[in-house]
Amino acid sequence: MFVAGLDVPSSSATPQSPSPKQQDPFVALAIRLREALTSQRKVAIWQPDKSKTFQVILVDPEVRFPPRKIAPAEDQQFHTPHSPLSPLTPSSPLYPDGLIAPIWIRKHTTLVPSVFVLFKRIYEHPHTSSRTPLDTHDPERDREREAEERRKDSELAAEIAQRKKSTNERSIKLTVVLMASRKMLDDPALDARLTFIRRQSGLDPRAALFVLSPVTSAEIGDFVRSLQEALYEPAIEYYTNHSKRVRRKRNRHSQANVSYQLPLTTIGSTSAQRPLRPEGWTVRYEYKMACFAEFRGEDDIALKHYHDAYSALHIMLGSTAILPPRTKRWAEAKVLADCISVKICKLYLYNNEHAMALAHHSSHMRLFSDLSRGWGIGEETFEFWSWLARQHRVFAELLEQGTRSTLKIPTHLPSPGVASQTQETQRGSLEVEAMRALGLNPTQALQHPGFYYYMAARCTENRRDRYLRALENESSHHASPGFVNERKVDHLSIVLELYTRAYELFKKYSTSSSQSQGRLTLWIAYLIAQTYYESGKFEMAVRFFERIAKTYRREQWDALLRPLLSTWYRCAQHLGDMELSVQLLLEIIGHGPQDDQDDPESLEEDLLAVLKSTVPSSDQVLTVDLTESGPLLDTSAVFWKSHVNVDQAAAFQITLTAPEIISLASLPFTSLLVQFSGDLPSITVQHTAPESDADVSSLQKIDLGDLSTSSSDNEDKDKDIKANLRWRPGDTLILCGNLTSSVPSNMTVSKLVLTLKEGNWNIDLPLHPNSRRSGTIPYPRWLGSLSPVRFIPVHRDNYSFVVVRHRPHVVKVSLSSEGPAYLGEEFPIVIDVTNADDRELDIVVDILLQPTEIEEADNFISVDEERSSSLIKGVEFGVLPPGVNMNKTLYLACSGAVGDRVIDISVQSRSMASVSPTTPVTPQSPSQVADTGETLRTLVVPTVDPITATHHVTYRRSTKPSPGLGDLDTFEGDYWDDAGEAHVVTTMTSVGPSGIFVEGLKLLREDGTYAKVNESTVDQDEDEFLTEWHTGDEFCDQCRISLARLDEPLGGGYIPGPGTYEVSWRRLLPNNQKGSLAKTRFSLPPLKPPSDGLIALLNVPNTAKLHQTIPLQLTIRNGHPTKSANIILQLEPDAVTDGFVVAGIRNGRLPILLPGGEEIIKWNLIPIECGWVKVPKIKVMNRRPPPPSAHGQAHDVEGEGEIVEVVDVRWDGRPEQSVRTSVDVARKSVEVPKVEMHPSDAAQFAAVVLVLP
Amino acid sequence: MAPQLRLNAVAFVSPQNHPILIRTFEQPRQDELKYHYIAHTSLDVIDERIQAATASKSTDCYLGLLYVEDVAVYGYMTPLKVKIIIALELSDSIVRDADVVAIFKALHTAYRRSVANPFLRLNVPTENVTDHSILVSAGNSRWQAFRKRVDEIGRASYGFVPSPLFLVTSKIQ
Repeated sequence: MFVAGLDVPSSSATPQSPSPKQQDPFVALAIRLREALTSQRKVAIWQPDKSKTFQVILVDPEVRFPPRKIAPAEDQQFHTPHSPLSPLTPSSPLYPDGLIAPIWIRKHTTLVPSVFVLFKRIYEHPHTSSRTPLDTHDPERDREREAEERRKDSELAAEIAQRKKSTNERSIKLTVVLMASRKMLDDPALDARLTFIRRQSGLDPRAALFVLSPVTSAEIGDFVRSLQEALYEPAIEYYTNHSKRVRRKRNRHSQANVSYQLPLTTIGSTSAQRPLRPEGWTVRYEYKMACFAEFRGEDDIALKHYHDAYSALHIMLGSTAILPPRTKRWAEAKVLADCISVKICKLYLYNNEHAMALAHHSSHMRLFSDLSRGWGIGEETFEFWSWLARQHRVFAELLEQGTRSTLKIPTHLPSPGVASQTQETQRGSLEVEAMRALGLNPTQALQHPGFYYYMAARCTENRRDRYLRALENESSHHASPGFVNERKVDHLSIVLELYTRAYELFKKYSTSSSQSQGRLTLWIAYLIAQTYYESGKFEMAVRFFERIAKTYRREQWDALLRPLLSTWYRCAQHLGDMELSVQLLLEIIGHGPQDDQDDPESLEEDLLAVLKSTVPSSDQVLTVDLTESGPLLDTSAVFWKSHVNVDQAAAFQITLTAPEIISLASLPFTSLLVQFSGDLPSITVQHTAPESDADVSSLQKIDLGDLSTSSSDNEDKDKDIKANLRWRPGDTLILCGNLTSSVPSNMTVSKLVLTLKEGNWNIDLPLHPNSRRSGTIPYPRWLGSLSPVRFIPVHRDNYSFVVVRHRPHVVKVSLSSEGPAYLGEEFPIVIDVTNADDRELDIVVDILLQPTEIEEADNFISVDEERSSSLIKGVEFGVLPPGVNMNKTLYLACSGAVGDRVIDISVQSRSMASVSPTTPVTPQSPSQVADTGETLRTLVVPTVDPITATHHVTYRRSTKPSPGLGDLDTFEGDYWDDAGEAHVVTTMTSVGPSGIFVEGLKLLREDGTYAKVNESTVDQDEDEFLTEWHTGDEFCDQCRISLARLDEPLGGGYIPGPGTYEVSWRRLLPNNQKGSLAKTRFSLPPLKPPSDGLIALLNVPNTAKLHQTIPLQLTIRNGHPTKSANIILQLEPDAVTDGFVVAGIRNGRLPILLPGGEEIIKWNLIPIECGWVKVPKIKVMNRRPPPPSAHGQAHDVEGEGEIVEVVDVRWDGRPEQSVRTSVDVARKSVEVPKVEMHPSDAAQFAAVVLVLP
Repeated sequence: MAPQLRLNAVAFVSPQNHPILIRTFEQPRQDELKYHYIAHTSLDVIDERIQAATASKSTDCYLGLLYVEDVAVYGYMTPLKVKIIIALELSDSIVRDADVVAIFKALHTAYRRSVANPFLRLNVPTENVTDHSILVSAGNSRWQAFRKRVDEIGRASYGFVPSPLFLVTSKIQ
């Protein structure tokens, strides 16, 4: 878009700038508009966005366009006119066979617009501001104004029409923007004036005339946007028309190319004047169409045309007949091909088709490499590499531009579908997708631009290489213009620049920010350093090398380090830095020779030469620390034992071996310093030359003697130890000796320092005592014997140091206790500690009772006065002299359940010698470890019951008549509603392994609401059972418990036992002693008296005298809570052996017995026989209606009724559960008469009386 | 049919990034140092890939195409974090991941067999299995078998279409 008319007085704007307050609003508007318009679109290489913006160029309103087609001067009548840039125009630079010129692009980008926007002021008649309100409307003045306006408008329209003419020539859209004041916009006459101007100037009716008043920048933005919106379409149309025109020409040309070409070829008969070939025209037209499509933003069409142009061009270049190499046209075509290639890549990238872009890029390089070979600029020429470097560089720059805005570099992570590939291949429809998922073409994997810069740099290096080679052959080689040109090129600075850009990009794209330096960047840095070296900037190179070497050393990539070091060394030589040279030489020697390439001794000779020929820069000792990199000597320091006691010698051997491949024999080492850890003195081994070479064996063993911390320093200082400090390859020097420490510590060889002296040079070479060469495993070994040489491998983890510690204390601890502990007693455990050491020991004991998981366990331990349920700490046993023993008794008291109790006993001993003031206190002594020892014992104490008790309970029914319902006594507070008795028989058994002595046995009564102890046998004859009870002894007690009637059912159904037996006892100890008094308690068992339904109690005396009356009483009790009973009674005297004469009811029916009611029936019996006489059988029936159950025919059993149990109260006694079952049985007997008799029923019938004469 | 992959170099790198073994198969033998550098610089990309893999909780050993120079560099990491890097000659065709994985598996097997050599641990003081120096020493020139195995795989890639079956059943030294 061309914009004109905005170049408002720039001459006046500049001086005004300090105070632009009074600036003309239109000038401000113009300035703002310029800003807004020019900022629309910046010309950039990477412009993927397709927003409707224009590239705006500000021009003069009178700007002239470049000339259009002009006809060839000589034969106008024959030929259609051609553009001045056409190859058909003789004045054109392309005449006669050029393809296309860069000026053509320039013409369409900067010289010819697609739309032309002209800004103009519309005339505004000056307002007569002096006009007063009194002034009436003056028609004269109005007319005058109108005339003036009309005149000005006509002028404006003429001007526009002039412009319109020139734009119409090129069918460029012209749009006029009229700037008017805000007041003007409100003027009703404006519309008419605008129409007039438009008509007059011949502007298009649509989107050709705008009016703008001075507005704010934001509104200007809106205006510019709407202006562009409106003009976008005409612009597209403009380029489309161009395309159409070109396509037409192309079609016409391809159809009629023979006839069209022939006259020209005849005219231009000389080969130099050969006109453009049809292929060339194709290139030209395709290129033009591609450009126009690109202007329109139609990338895919542009891509297609570029591709066509590219392939046509490739055909042209492929034939030396069409384009003879090394001509001007050939060079142009080559550049054009490169340009088109870049365009194609870019368009692919716009579309995010990375693989396609890269594929095109590489295929372009491949195709043209092939062509280059044909042109004689193959891989052996610098031209080729220069071209290749340029391709890489251009591509890298394109990517870099792209990544700055929208381009994303794809990541090439493996697709997760590798495992499930079989499934994917089955999906035929997605075959392409599947192929992509399965793998990718590495040549089509786009990477970040750093890689391409790197490639460009490598190519440039190659270019330099070829150039240098060409330079060597210069005498034979005739200097071509290209070679002359090449001579001017500073290859190294180009390489540096490319590497530096690659380095920055690699740094930018490395995500591993955690690491200080990426390896990729290091590699680039190494190349940069190499380039610096090549270009003679040694200091820069050295600085790079220092940094790079660090990582390479750490990761032990010797292969990378070696070339680096040698270049570095050469740098140091160039710089004259002798210290650095020496250092690097030593390091290179340490790394060993490089793949047998160079003589291993040459480095050594180099070093010696340096040392002899130069002097160090200062007198200071030069320390060359090679512990990080490859050490000169393989070292290992081995201790024979892993632990020694204080003041005990620890034997060590330090082995220094020269590697087989490294030659060191002539290095003049003078001394070897061996440093040990801690207070151990260090030792220096001086060099002494062997008397004759024949004496030198490959293995030297030097004894360093005994070294100890206690020995005074002076004594050993000048110990004269000499050894041959020259190593031939594979030679070994072994230093052996003993170390002794008087304090506990870790002893190790801390440092080895070799000193090398030559002339003024004084070099220290620290060595790690256990060096590690990469790729080897440390192989610690101990020299067993010298002749024959025999090594013992050391199979131990920590062979390189020895731990010194105090002698362990010899403390004997014995624990004694008698059998299992009884619950309830304080069980004695004797802890006996004996000092079996030869030192005085302070003994302190900690005792821990482990918590148990036994239920209700309540255990504690006690020693002396201390008691604890878990830990007793610091039980002092005092200082025990050697041989003395001491014991203490620990008591363990347990309660709860039986089980094992676990006690841990820790006996800590502390040597009194270490705190005694006689020991020389060294400064380090406070920090050193105290001389202590600990002996641990664990004791498991099984705990058992001393006595166990079993209970047997029977229940008896009450024989007392129950009180009447209204008996007032029953309401008294202390009324005991008797409900029978419980008889409890308790059997206590002594079960402990050792006997106990019982000192007391009591029944502690705890009378409750429903039960109380009436009497117990233990109350009576106490002394009889207070004896020793041995294992298996049993003791039995009976007690009677009176039960009260339950008002309501108890919660658990049980009445708690109303008392507790307490046994006080002492353990019988083996030596007739008795242990501490302990008490064991047993509660009476909980009671659950059985309940009765309807019951008949038979009461008869045990004995009778012949012929004397005895009473027989039957109490019928209805214990049922709700049902009344209809009792039928039947006395059946034994017909056969009737021992009694009975007086009383024989057969009858009792009044209805209500629930809780009781009836007593009495008989008198006169025995008429002696002996055990059976009482007459009494049958009691409850004749009650059958339960209203479902079966209606149950009525006919009414006569039968239910048999009520008759219980002889003398034998009454029921266990808890039996009653209920008997009741159940009785009840069932109604329904199932054939039920078996319950044992208790026997008593009913076996009531006998002993009749005495 | 999958195009033949030409193996230019193989590198084994220990978990601590120390080189174990680097072999080149390019004929004629040239520029071995280049492959040392390629192996070393690949470690950067491998680190990136590992980070990405741990982020996505992937347990795949195959790390894919690392980068392209004048060779295509692929990476693989064994479960014990030994990295295997191979350089394939560039050819304008799709390299199937499965083929590359097959090569890696064969190399991994070769490495595993070599490290399993009990004599590697002869005279080694410790029983420490995590000590990588043993692994590194497997590439030492003293241990020929590993080299031979790797070279065989390299040769195979030149002579045959790689098939893991063939490689695994190849003669064990």
